[in-house]
Amino acid sequence: MLPKAAAIDETPNRSTAAAGIAAPAVRVESVSKAYGDIEAIRRADFAVAEGEFLSILGPSGCGKSTLLMMVAGLLGPSSGRVVIGERLVDGPRADIGVVFQSPVLLPWRTVMENVMLPVEMQHLPREAHVRRARELLAVTHLEEFANRLPRELSGGMRQRVSICRALVIDPRILLMDEPFSALDAITRDEMGQELLRLWQIHRKTVIFVTHSIREAAFLSDRVIVMGRRPATIVADVRIDLPRPRALSIEETEPFNRYVRTLRQAIEANHAH
Amino acid sequence: MPTKLKDLPVWPVVFMLGFLLVWEAVVDLYKVRPIILPAPSQVAVALAQRWDVLLTHLLPTLWLTVLGFALSVVGGIGVAILVTYSEVLRKGLYPIIVVTQVVPKVSIAPLFIVWFDTGLVSSTLLAFLVAFFPMVINAVVGFHIHDEDLLRMARAYMGSRWQIFLKIRLPNAMPYIFAGMKISITLAVIGVIVAEFVASQEGLGYLIKLSGGLFDTPLMLASIVVLSAMGLALYGIIAWAEKRVIYWQSVPGAEAAAAPA
Repeated sequence: MLPKAAAIDETPNRSTAAAGIAAPAVRVESVSKAYGDIEAIRRADFAVAEGEFLSILGPSGCGKSTLLMMVAGLLGPSSGRVVIGERLVDGPRADIGVVFQSPVLLPWRTVMENVMLPVEMQHLPREAHVRRARELLAVTHLEEFANRLPRELSGGMRQRVSICRALVIDPRILLMDEPFSALDAITRDEMGQELLRLWQIHRKTVIFVTHSIREAAFLSDRVIVMGRRPATIVADVRIDLPRPRALSIEETEPFNRYVRTLRQAIEANHAH
Repeated sequence: MPTKLKDLPVWPVVFMLGFLLVWEAVVDLYKVRPIILPAPSQVAVALAQRWDVLLTHLLPTLWLTVLGFALSVVGGIGVAILVTYSEVLRKGLYPIIVVTQVVPKVSIAPLFIVWFDTGLVSSTLLAFLVAFFPMVINAVVGFHIHDEDLLRMARAYMGSRWQIFLKIRLPNAMPYIFAGMKISITLAVIGVIVAEFVASQEGLGYLIKLSGGLFDTPLMLASIVVLSAMGLALYGIIAWAEKRVIYWQSVPGAEAAAAPA
């Protein structure tokens, strides 16, 4: 077993230093992942500041989800390490909320019971968390659905439930693995706005994996672009757009400049 | 499962009545002897007049069926849990269980008689053995979680093995377990009847064989009617419980009526 609190070297990560933000919440230090002979990720190196909204952008199957699962402690890196706060990640942690590509709700549990699942599993005080769950459901316009079963909900509503489930334990870090990719374009836009609204309230550190350039640019403070085979970080772009952001920002020139920058980063990687 | 009133079994009832009427008419028309084929009315008479005999023989059959079935449910789920959590058993034992399914279990009945003599133990064991396999296989399928993200979710929220079993695997398996139980209960009836054919002094299987030997065909058919009613009732109880336990499974057609996108 790994030591509970590993000593962390104090060299600040470049991107964080450049951003001038306080101590990073998450550090990914030259993390590689190989499956047998296949190298999935090669030396990924980045840090996420406390309260920062970071997107990892890349084509499907480039290993960005694998990277996220390693941050979540659900997969171990082949080499390198992930550090959250002062602690080395060596397994799932109570202060991380994860949202998956599909909502993975339990069909036999009501919306409220689904949201309360992490509370039950971590034996947290029930009453206080029921209150918190109610607040979250209210913010996500699901309060009348608290006693409904998932099958009675639309796809977008189900994914909102799974976001509430991730937030109910008040995690420091929210990890999202292409959470809106199964939704239609209109719902997807709505969900993006909704997520930003939630983030504006709770200010979690977010790592958001996506293959949508516009989604990444719209949501993030910073976007990391991953290339293919083996996945490496090919660009690290700060999105300096004012907040709170509305969907109308997507028509502005600065937004579209960022979209072009990100697209060029992806295409440059594909050229060779 | 009927969802609309007009899907309720009106037509099967009409067909059944028609069939019985044709049967009655044919027996009447051709003067078929009751030893060969009694008319439905004669079977009904046998049912009404011999109900005490039928009831006496129904009880042991019912009791052994329920006992064998209960053992197969407990044993089947138990083995399924072992297979789910032990890689050695999953790789070594489970394939054997799947393959031995093809053995006609009733052919083992005489062996049980050699071992345990006639009576309760042999009959229960045969019922258990016949009903066991669908239980194991259904439960194993049910305990297996196909959705990788579902297990990741449970682990990400720090679910222990026990919590994951109790809160995820077990409810996930319930529809499969009930499907297994519906197969098993009908098989358990077969197991008990075969055991009573070969080795018993009581039970409906014994009564069927006995009335055959006595050329009392109306009583034989009456016994079959009682036996069928028993099987149907047991199946009905499980189907009834299933609907209540697995409340989250949508009735076909209900999905369209769900909340708008």
